[in-house]
Formats: sequence, structure tokens, C-alpha cells
Amino acid sequence: MKKRTLRRGLTAIWWLILIFLYLPLAVVVLFSFNSANSAASFTGVSLRWYKRLMGNEEILSALSNSLILAIVSSAVALVIGCLIGYGMYRHRHRKLGWLIVLIYLPIVLPDIVFGISEMAFFVQIHRMTGLLQPGLGTMIIAHVTFQIPFVALIVYSRFVGLDPTLFEAAKDLYASPAQRAFHFMLPTIKPALISAFFLSFTLSVDDFVISFFTAGPDSATLPIYIWGAIKKGVSPEINAIATLMIGAVTIAAILSLLFSHRRQP
Amino acid sequence: MTPSPLAPEPGTREPDAPRDTDNAAREASSIELLGLHKRFGKDTVALDGVDLTIRAGEFFTLLGPSGCGKTTLLRILAGLEEPDSGSLKIGGLDITDTPPHKRSVNTVFQSYALFPHLSVRDNLAFGLRMLGLPAAEREARVARIAEFIQLNDLVDRKVDQLSGGQRQRIALARALVCEPDVLLLDEPLSALDAGLRSQLQVELLRVQKRLGMTFVFVTHDQQEAMVMSDRIAVLDSGNIQQVGPPREVYERPVNAFVARFMGHDNLFPITRRAEGGWLTTELGDLRCDGEGAGDLLLIRPETLDLLPGEQPGENRLLATVGERLYRGSHAEYRLDIGQTSLQATVNNRGRHLPEVGERITVTVAADDLVTLGK
Amino acid sequence: MAYSGVRPTTRSRAMVSETRHLLFTVAPGAVWIVIFLVLPSAYLMSVAFMSTGIYGLPELPLSLESFRRLAGFGFLGWSPGNIYTLLRSLWQTLVSTALVMVVAYPIAYYITTCRERWRPIMLLLVVVPSWTNQVIRTFGWMNLLAPGTPLANLAELVGFIPPNMGLYPSNFAVTLGLVYNFLPFMVLPLYAAFEKLDTAQVQAAQDLYASPVRAFWHAVFPQTLPGLLAGTVLVAIPAFGMYVIPELLGGGKGMMLGNLVANQFAGSANWPLGAAGAILMLIATFIGLFAMRRIGKRLGGGEEVVI
Repeated sequence: MKKRTLRRGLTAIWWLILIFLYLPLAVVVLFSFNSANSAASFTGVSLRWYKRLMGNEEILSALSNSLILAIVSSAVALVIGCLIGYGMYRHRHRKLGWLIVLIYLPIVLPDIVFGISEMAFFVQIHRMTGLLQPGLGTMIIAHVTFQIPFVALIVYSRFVGLDPTLFEAAKDLYASPAQRAFHFMLPTIKPALISAFFLSFTLSVDDFVISFFTAGPDSATLPIYIWGAIKKGVSPEINAIATLMIGAVTIAAILSLLFSHRRQP
Repeated sequence: MTPSPLAPEPGTREPDAPRDTDNAAREASSIELLGLHKRFGKDTVALDGVDLTIRAGEFFTLLGPSGCGKTTLLRILAGLEEPDSGSLKIGGLDITDTPPHKRSVNTVFQSYALFPHLSVRDNLAFGLRMLGLPAAEREARVARIAEFIQLNDLVDRKVDQLSGGQRQRIALARALVCEPDVLLLDEPLSALDAGLRSQLQVELLRVQKRLGMTFVFVTHDQQEAMVMSDRIAVLDSGNIQQVGPPREVYERPVNAFVARFMGHDNLFPITRRAEGGWLTTELGDLRCDGEGAGDLLLIRPETLDLLPGEQPGENRLLATVGERLYRGSHAEYRLDIGQTSLQATVNNRGRHLPEVGERITVTVAADDLVTLGK
Repeated sequence: MAYSGVRPTTRSRAMVSETRHLLFTVAPGAVWIVIFLVLPSAYLMSVAFMSTGIYGLPELPLSLESFRRLAGFGFLGWSPGNIYTLLRSLWQTLVSTALVMVVAYPIAYYITTCRERWRPIMLLLVVVPSWTNQVIRTFGWMNLLAPGTPLANLAELVGFIPPNMGLYPSNFAVTLGLVYNFLPFMVLPLYAAFEKLDTAQVQAAQDLYASPVRAFWHAVFPQTLPGLLAGTVLVAIPAFGMYVIPELLGGGKGMMLGNLVANQFAGSANWPLGAAGAILMLIATFIGLFAMRRIGKRLGGGEEVVI
């Protein structure tokens, strides 16, 4: 039948696309275990590239920069974004068009424009005042800027999904404003907050362009290190770091997904 | 007076328990509303000068169609809405500016508003926890209320494992466990099916009578209001139309709105009045006892008697049966009289029930007729 | 009346406290975004209208020199390099967006025909690769397309490339990288559109039109247009400003606008020229968003189409 042919064709396309999607990652993972220093032929399984990573000061410092950057920026963005998300929800009946535009701005701005704007701005401020020297600090500022909208939107949508009378029930049951925040609102949106933190973390680790332009000489993150290594000439060590990053981001992302799906009705 | 069932067992009672004598409790829970006004936006008037006194220990119902202001009034009592002007006293104390979390008032919400992140037990204990009661007392009180509302087997469940009726009872228990001066109920039964609904009506009534707590109940269902209430206030477009016990509101409505809302259709404009209480309507002449200053005559369908054949006389009207709905316990009639028609309800006592097309005589007692304003 | 309960201040007092609340919650984030994104963007735009000073840094007086340079007018007369870069960016955006559509459309449809239990997992499978850093993913393609790899050997065999050349750097590699990078951005909105598909309409169409092609064209395709549109914006806007992929896979002859802009802030510094290029990108972004809003509204799916 014609219909069955169509379906078979679609199934074939689906598997081809899956191969297409995973092949580049699979190659990176595979060659990270290659015993030879070659990207063309696989000669045998070995962990020598991973061992080499351990002794590489530059990589370890890039790793710690990446982690500090991701954790600090996600935490700051979580607080600020959570406040905005709540404000947007609480005042959703007002005209907040300006706020929506502001919140979507970091999302719609092309990475490269985002990155060079901040770089140019930081450099100028630094020249004029001595503040904002390019480094981990400026990178954290930049990352928080693009993480805020995601946190705000996740928190906002969680609040919108709640029965609005819950807020009134909390007031009615003698909860003072502070008690409402800590005994009702925060526990209720906890899954959303965890999911937002993991998403922010993933976005931070995933980012290259913005980090690249706001980094200082000593604040290279893993992606920046990898970029530099690629530019200098391919080394199999990159496969090993890349494999570790693929693993870490995948785990973080899956955790985020698990928490966002554990929403109560 | 029996002691409140929510009060601790004798001997375990703390010296500063909130409710030491029933009299004091009753004093504390009367409600006085004076000149309450509330607008939403520029044009929507929710309350247009409401004056109302609700007695302590009363089951008081705010009844009216949607948009009449009853929910706004309840929300003002709870403190969830601030009036534009007017004042509100509970137990003689002005609480107009008191925020909701400082009022000894609890609400059973229409959507129940149970916290999804908490178990049933923690939902029940929420208010007590916010009040800062020690854990032991919280547990004791939650256990007592669970016993009282008969939901012992539910306390360890999660909220999303409960049925509608169970949620309703948890919501009630969560409000009662705080032992407020006043309990507010915002159409708490409207989401339930008919059977469960009448069962819970009885239960709610029993709880209120045993606790002697002031209940303010909002509904748009006049049947429910009549079953439950000590007194009813009928509201329309932000004004109180009538306040009184159910029988008074049903049998002696003060105006056409109240009459229609209570389910009456037999309203006829009075075209002429004569000595001795004689009124002329398009039905004919009828004599009405009692003071009759209004412009409309109300004839309740269940006050009518149907006699076979044509038997003219005082307060008797000749009619043709236009329609008959047989309901088993009773039958509903549409009787045609001249150009107009009249609804009648006749109890089925095994006697002859006139057939469609039959000529009959309708009789009504002079003291069953009511006149009312427009 | 006897009561003294008229409270004319209530409403204004409530308004004031509400406004204070709004400011308290929203201000930290709003101020953050204004200081660290709006101001920098505004500064960058102003840089485009300055003249180039020492080390390529911006200087007064104001000038439109940067835009002349962007159009290719330099010290040595006009050269077509920048115009080529611009045209290449447009071309790559068009081609990769079209290819992504062609690939994503059957995939999104296929997922909706599978069992409901499997659909979230299938979507996840499509999305997971994009969670990995762009640099690493592009590096994966470098590994695959390098000289001597099976893919490169195959291409050589067919005569697609000369011997020992590898498939990158090339424009072809950039297109491939773009398609790979943006595929999930198209599959997700298309899937949402397919899932909402009104099957009654499709059945009616099957009854009315003899051929399945016509049924598709009249009943299915119009309903998926909002998803297609959303996907187009999600793909085309970032593709136009892409930096990493052309940098790694394109080489000198595969440069796009993003590289041109970035280079002005790194190696061959010329901030005003880079800023002028950034303005071009911003204009393209806002045209894209604006077009989507307009067309989205006409298609009746405007609100949900927005990201």
C-alpha cells in the first residue's frame, strides 16, 4: 500500500536524521578513547588523553572557571529572575509591555551583538573608572544577563499555572507576607526553581560567544580553552574534555527536565 | 450550652485557650457592616452602600445572581478586598484596615485552594503553624478536627489523591481548625454533584450547629440558601434587597427581584384598589389581607387549590388547564385565565388531578396573597 | 450618616503599595538588563557613528566612515570583500533555513504519528545534541569532514572534492554545520503545529479531494504555517549572525557577517566598522521579529508563536 510505503520512508528518514544528529558527538566520544594521535583512524582503546587532562594546569583552571562561572551566575540569576517572574505574575493585569520587551531582549539579541556590546561597554567603563576589568566578574555579569529571562519566564509560567486563590488562602490562614514567601510561594515553585537553576547552568556551560568576548586573559573557560586548542591545531585531548562536557551537560539537562516534569497539578 | 467539640478535653485545656466561655465567643463573632462601597475600575459598582448586621452564631447566607456583589462582600469580610468606604466590625472591633492574616476569620474557597505542595495533614496545620502554635498543640488540634469532620483516614494522603467531596471537607476542616470567630464559605458546594451536595449541606449545617460559630455562606442557589440559613440576605447590583429568615424571604418577598429570584413566576400588576383589601389584576378581582401598599400581587403556586368545574365565589377564579406536568409527589399546572396564565402546584394526595383542557375553579386564601413593590 | 468610615485614601494608598511592590520585585532585574545590556547596546550603536582612532578604538568626531567601510570603500578604493561577506551571510541563511525546513517537516510529522508515549522521548532525542557546546559540536564535524575520513574519502570518490582536500573548510561545510545546529529549532515549533492539527479538517479534505497531495496542500499545510513561521525566525535570525560555525568550518572564503563584526573587535581592530556591522544584524533581527508578528497575527497564531 501507498500509505505503508510513506510510513516506511518516514521511519528511514527518522533514523538517518538521528545518525546525522549524533554522529559528530559520537566521533568526539569515540576518538577521545583512541590510542593513536589521529582523527582519521581508530587504532585501539586507551585512556591516555584523559590522563593527560589531569596533568594540564590550564585545563584544570578552565574547568574551575567554568564551574565558578556557571554556579555563581546561575545563583544570581535565580534570585533576580525569580523576583521578576513573581512581579510579572503578581502585576500581570497591569500594562507591563516595557518589561516584556526588556525581558525578551537578551533572548532575541544575536549572541555576537550581545557579546561585543558588553565587551565594548566593559572596556570603556574600565578605561574611564578602572572598574569592570575583563575577567570572571564581567563574564558572570554577562551570563546573568542572558540567564535572567529564562528564570523569569519559568517562574512566571509556574505561578500562572497555580490556582490564584492559593495566595488568598495563605493570607486567610494567618500567613504574614514573609511567611507567605517562605511557607507557601517558595515551596510551591521549588521544582520550577530547581529546573531554572539547571537550565541556567546548562546555558552558561553551553555558551561560547558571549564568554569569549567578555573574558579576560586569566578567565578562560572550557569552551574558550577548546576554541583556542582547535585554533592552534587539533589535539586528541580536546576530544577527551569535550566528552566530559557532553556527559556533564547531558546529565544536568536531564535533571532539569525531570524536575520540570514533576509538577503538581 | 454544650462545650465546643473543638475545645480540648477537660483537663488538657490550656489556661489561655482562645474560647473560654461560649458567651464570650458569641460576643466576639457578631458582624457589623456600615455603608460599604466598592467599585472595580470606573464603571463596575460591586457594592453600593451595604449596611448589614450578622448575629453571633448565626448561619447567614448571602444570596444573589452572579455579579450581585455577594462574593465581593465576602472578600471584604475576609480582608482580601478593601472597601472604598464604609466600615466593618467583628465583635465590636473595627477591623476595616486589618490585613487578612491578622483577622480571626477563615474562608472555605470555592476552588478549595488546598496547597499542592503539602500533605493533607500539613494543609490542616498550615494556619496553626503560621500562628506560631507549638507542634504538639498543632498535632492535637489537627487530630481533633480530623476526628470531628471524619477524615482520619485521609490525613496522610496527598492533595492530588483526593476526590472533590474529600477536598471540600479538608478545606472546611482547614478553616475550622483555626477556630476563627467567623467562618466564610464561598459557594463551597457548587463544584459537587447533586447527591454529594445535599449530603454535605446537611453535614455543614450539623457542624455549624454543634460549634455555634458564625457562618457566612455565599450561594446563588436559593434552594440551598433556604435549607441552610438562619437568615438570608438577597443582593442585587451591589444592594441588599431583603434580609430575613428563609420563610420570610420566600413567602413575603419585598420586591419583584427577590420574588423572581426565589423562584416565583405568578406576579401580576395591580391596576386598581378598592375598600376591604380588594385588588384588581388582569386575573380578576381578589381580596388580600394585611397591609398592601405594593404595585404587584404575588400568588405562590402552592397556595392554590383546584376545584373541579365552575364554582364562582370570593377569591375564586375560573380557569382552563393549559398544561400539566406530573411530578409524582405533585403536579405543576399552567392555568389559562382570559389572556393571562397562572402557575399552580398541587400535591398528589390521590385525588383527581385535572386534565389538560378541563374547566376548573382556582381558590386562594386572602391571607396567602402578598403585595410587593417593583 | 453617623459612621466615620469614609476612607478616601484607601485606593491611592493601595496603589502606592502595589507600585512599590512592583518596583521591588521587578527593579533588580530590569535595572540589571538596562545597565548591562541596553546601555551597552546603545553604546555599541553610537560607536558605529564615530571615527576610527588609534588601535581601532572609537573617537570623536562623529562620522559615517564606518558604513562606507562596511560597503567596501577603503584606503585603497572599493573592494568587494565586505559585500561578498554580506551576500554570503544572506545566502547561507536562506539555504540553511530552507534545508532545515525540508528536513524538519517530515521529522516533526513522523513524531506526531508515533505513539503518544514515545513522542516526548523522540523530541528529547532531537534536542539533546543542541545542549552540548556549539564549539564541541562543530569540532565533531571538523573530525568528520577532515581529509582522510570516510566521508571525505567518499566525496573524493564521487568527484565532489579534489584528492586529499577534505570537506572543510568550505561553504558546504558551513551550510551543513548551520543545518545541524538549527534543526531542533525548527522541529519543535513544527511538532507543536502538527500536534494541534485539526484531523477532522484533514479527513474532510480526503473526502473532498481525490489526491492525497491536494489534501495535504489544502488541509494540512496551511495549519502548520504558524509553526513553520516560528521555526523560520528561530533559525534565520541566529543563522544570520552566526560566528562559531563559519569561523571553524568556513575558513577565509566562508566568512559571514558575524566573523566580519567579531574580527573588528579582535585582530584587525576597527570598532566603528564592527559596530556598523552589528547594527546591520540588529536591523535584520528586528525586521525578522516584526515580520513574524505581522504574519503570525494574520495566521491567527501570533501570540503562541512568540518563543
